[in-house]
Amino acid sequence: MDHTSEVSALKMVGITKRFPGVLANDQINFEVKAGEVHGLLGENGAGKTTLMKILYGLHQPDEGEIHLNGEKVKILSPRAAADLGIGMVHQHFMLVENLTALENVVLGLPAAHPPLLDLEPARLRFKELTREYDLRLDPSTPVWQLPVGDQQWLEILKLLFRDARLVILDEPTAVLAPKQAKQLFQTVRRLAAEGRAIVFISHKLEEMKEVAERVTVLRDGHVVGTVDPKVAKPSELAQMMVGRDVFLSRRERKTYPEKRDLLVIEGLSCLNDRKLPALNNLNLTVKSGEIVGVAGVDGNGQRELAECISGLRQFTSGSILINGIPVDGVVKDNSLLGYVPEDRHKTGLVLNFTVEENLFLKTFAKFPYTKRGFIQWREIRKKAEAIIREFEIRTPGSSVTTYHLSGGNQQKVVVARELSSDPALMLTSQPTRGLDLGAVESVHKMLLSVRNRGGAVLFISTELPEVMALSDRIIVMFKGQIMGDLVAEDADVNRIGELMLGHQEAMKTIP
Amino acid sequence: MSDNVKKRDILVIPGLGGMVLSGARPLLAILLAFTVSAIMIIAQGANPFEAYWAMLRGSFGSVAALANTCVRAAPLLLGGLGVAFGFKAGLLNVGVEGQIYVGGSAAAAVGLMPLPVPPWLHLILAIFAGFLGGAAWGLIPAYLKAYRGISEIVVTLMLNYVAIQFTSLLVHEPSPLAEQGAFFPQSPPILPSAQLPILIKGTSLHIGIIIGVVAALILYLLLQYTPFGMRTRMTGQNPEAARYAGINVRRQIVIVLLVSAGMGGLAGMGEVLGLKLRLYDYFSGGLGYDSIAVALIANSNIIGVVLSAFFFGALRAGAGKMETAVGIKTPIVQVIQALAVLFVIMIGFAEYTRAARKEKQQKQLEEVSVDGP
Amino acid sequence: MDLNSINEFLAAAIRMSAPLMIVGAGALFTERTGVFNIGLEGTMLVGCMAAVYFSLQTGNLWLATLGAMFVGGLFGLVHAFLTITRRADQIVAGAAINLFALGITNLLNGPLYAGYEYRPRVTLYPVIAPEALQNLPILGPILFAQPVIVYFAFIIPILATWILYRTTWGLAIRAVGDHPHAVATAGLSVYALKYIGVITSGVFAGLGGAALTLADLGLFAPGMTNGRGFAVLAAFVVGKWNPILVAAACILFGSADALQLRAQTIQLAIPYQVFVMLPYLLTIAALAGLVGRTVGPKTVGKPYDPESI
Repeated sequence: MDHTSEVSALKMVGITKRFPGVLANDQINFEVKAGEVHGLLGENGAGKTTLMKILYGLHQPDEGEIHLNGEKVKILSPRAAADLGIGMVHQHFMLVENLTALENVVLGLPAAHPPLLDLEPARLRFKELTREYDLRLDPSTPVWQLPVGDQQWLEILKLLFRDARLVILDEPTAVLAPKQAKQLFQTVRRLAAEGRAIVFISHKLEEMKEVAERVTVLRDGHVVGTVDPKVAKPSELAQMMVGRDVFLSRRERKTYPEKRDLLVIEGLSCLNDRKLPALNNLNLTVKSGEIVGVAGVDGNGQRELAECISGLRQFTSGSILINGIPVDGVVKDNSLLGYVPEDRHKTGLVLNFTVEENLFLKTFAKFPYTKRGFIQWREIRKKAEAIIREFEIRTPGSSVTTYHLSGGNQQKVVVARELSSDPALMLTSQPTRGLDLGAVESVHKMLLSVRNRGGAVLFISTELPEVMALSDRIIVMFKGQIMGDLVAEDADVNRIGELMLGHQEAMKTIP
Repeated sequence: MSDNVKKRDILVIPGLGGMVLSGARPLLAILLAFTVSAIMIIAQGANPFEAYWAMLRGSFGSVAALANTCVRAAPLLLGGLGVAFGFKAGLLNVGVEGQIYVGGSAAAAVGLMPLPVPPWLHLILAIFAGFLGGAAWGLIPAYLKAYRGISEIVVTLMLNYVAIQFTSLLVHEPSPLAEQGAFFPQSPPILPSAQLPILIKGTSLHIGIIIGVVAALILYLLLQYTPFGMRTRMTGQNPEAARYAGINVRRQIVIVLLVSAGMGGLAGMGEVLGLKLRLYDYFSGGLGYDSIAVALIANSNIIGVVLSAFFFGALRAGAGKMETAVGIKTPIVQVIQALAVLFVIMIGFAEYTRAARKEKQQKQLEEVSVDGP
Repeated sequence: MDLNSINEFLAAAIRMSAPLMIVGAGALFTERTGVFNIGLEGTMLVGCMAAVYFSLQTGNLWLATLGAMFVGGLFGLVHAFLTITRRADQIVAGAAINLFALGITNLLNGPLYAGYEYRPRVTLYPVIAPEALQNLPILGPILFAQPVIVYFAFIIPILATWILYRTTWGLAIRAVGDHPHAVATAGLSVYALKYIGVITSGVFAGLGGAALTLADLGLFAPGMTNGRGFAVLAAFVVGKWNPILVAAACILFGSADALQLRAQTIQLAIPYQVFVMLPYLLTIAALAGLVGRTVGPKTVGKPYDPESI
């Protein structure tokens, strides 16, 4: 099991993966030595996941080669990957909740006397390993009774059982408390010391400093560079991660003499779907005539914030006032709130409905679209066609199923619907995700029009350049709180990048 | 990328593509079902063309045949509408069988009562009782589904057996609905004022079929032209979007399931007040399950349900003639029906998976293009 | 009721539970792999007919039994194909199978007995216990005056439990319904496991059909399963997917069935219909959480899509 450091445990050379119309991985070279913890840093969609899926046999690369310990390999399936000694802890755990910890570990392992399931030898080894690595796990506990942190340990134990030589950890600290994370880092370093090669995927800069020897930064499917995190400055790494050319020029900003508070949030706290705290005593005010951009790495409470404001998520404490009216249950008044939700397929649209039905998803029952109890489709069509023209939605007609439209035009349907009732506050969550440039441009124009007539826009996006180009004010969210509140003119990529990574000091440097 | 967008836009034929497919699918499935059944008929030593011709004459060949087709189509139409309507809100009501029993029992209870009202009112009350009985049977699954998140499927299925026994209790002495000293467990005859009027003298063609067609029209208008219908369809297509649009999804589920069950009740009412004219043990004999088939073949399209109910009614009406003409037993009809459903599933879901794959591709594309080329 | 009729009732209860327990043991496998199979009702009915058919053709009880299992397996295969490969709605596919089974058995009911002037009773499962044991008071009629299939009905659930909990194969089956992707990443074939699970349920539904016809009737009658397949699914809810509890629920349901038959012949204070309703009411109560929470395998009802990790 000895590894000489000359031969890399893993070498990925010129990996290219195309999806229709998009280059997910572009000539990526990536190399991990035995005994090394190699960090993989990058924004959502930078290509980390695609690269790791290729390594784990879930995708096949279009170009490029993979070498393990100097030998060229083809990894056609997760099984093949496992056989080659590759182990992965997925972000979503691959644990069967109804089985015990031990049963999860032996699932798929060859048995001594097949088909008999003899758990005793495995139990001994389970106990041995837990003692050796100082893990407090009971083999007979069903997984559903384990706290999330312990489930993480169990995943790692699975890898140890299989003696994986190349270990991929995909955002392993996302579910851990700080103290647990510390223990994880110790274990990870120990695994590396045993001669294993570790790929450690994360958004968090300080983790990289703590655990990784080298960090490779990915952006837009390319390798931006590989650096030593202990030497590199945080601002340097942040810039590598997010600092591409700002492709949108800054908008001209108008100032409004009359400033009313259109959105007032005080002491807002709520839980996420896993019943863990998502927002923590958050305060925010948005005034008329301003666009407030919400920056932050995905999963820091942005989604929950949007859902709380729209009334789709119950909050545990605090209050939200939109134009003076408190939010209590789903906000139904369209002149108060327009909301472009994060996922247009799941929430914003009924894909099997026609364009006109989707355009009037919230207002179909109102006069004049419904008269004497009947929907006036002619009225709706007339208005829909006007909206389609006004917002330049490209569709063969208003009675086409929305499903058939391109992503950009589907999004335009959502934005147009929310704008057409002239809301006081426009709340948008990732409104340009997955759109081509032309569509991005028109969505931006629509949002600007809200501000320019004196409305307020809360613009949530993980796309930093976009946030910077569009916003008058930028707030940065981190772990359910507002890390920083910057006037757009004062903001620069580096400072926001550091705030996104949880570095409060960046705030203090503001003059 | 913008090239992609253009191409996709041009390729779409507005509305037409979907319509052709949704019409062709059941027809193809029915054709396949007839073909496979023909093989079975040949295996039994008969000529399938002769058999099918006899069937056609038995269902459409004379006024009596046509009347018979309508009589048999009526419960399938009402029950099928119930299933299809529930489906529009994403609910699979497999409890129509039970709702038929309870609706029929309720209608019989009112129909047996000598009420001090004019005959037309008695009739209307009895019809209404059928609907209410069915709807009442939908209350339990509706509550459990909307407020406890428990699947309506198993609950409605289990309630079928409870309903059958409930009716059985009603027609056995000492129930007040049971006929005293009768040889069979049955109720006394329905009072003439509560019997469904006969449309053509000398046949058993009662107005049940008209009730069915009118109900279909109402449901169609409701779904397509009222805010209630829009809410229903939204709940079925995407409950999360419905909630986002401010719709009370739970309330919608309850109402739709009650109406769906009420339609099942009307189907039972028609059988009791129009055809059997008494309440019997086991009087439905699986009509509720056949209603599911009717709705499935129509892909839960309301107008399609009318057509498929008539189709199945015709099959049943013609089966007798076929049996006497070529000696093929009537259950071949059930086989044809089941095969048609099986083929619809195979064809329909092949399309569905293709569509889902396409959608996923698009989604995947959007996920990786977050950074934008 | 006097002692004699209590004995008779208990013997009948055990005998009538047997087919349910067999079907239930097989259904464990389909449920555990995450496929809901309401087609078991129809599959069981087809098994009834197949048992009689093969018995009439071969004159051999055991070949008849195997024939019923084979035909049941075929129906399981159809359900597997529709729901796993085609990813059809499991309820819809099962309902279609039930309709087909009802139709085809009704159609073939005549030809099945073609050439016979009256319907012959085919060979029944023998009673193998020695005479002396059969004549024991109380225990005799309940335990020993039973056809041999009843013993199978008790052995099969135990065997199924053993397979599920004591073999690697069973471990994979238990895992796949809860988290198929975990099973796939562990290097096992989700599709193969699901197919095996569904086909197994079909095979045992066929055997359950044979147990229904060849235990004491020896005849096929249209629609003779009369909801027993559904009752088995109900037993899963009541038995909370635990093999032993499911078997116990099957005995409970079988006893209710025996009781209602008794209630029809002797006058009881409670009408027999109440006993027929009881299992189904109990199931709804269990679903509603009135008798403890019921949680089935997580992905039951949902098609497996290998790409949606």
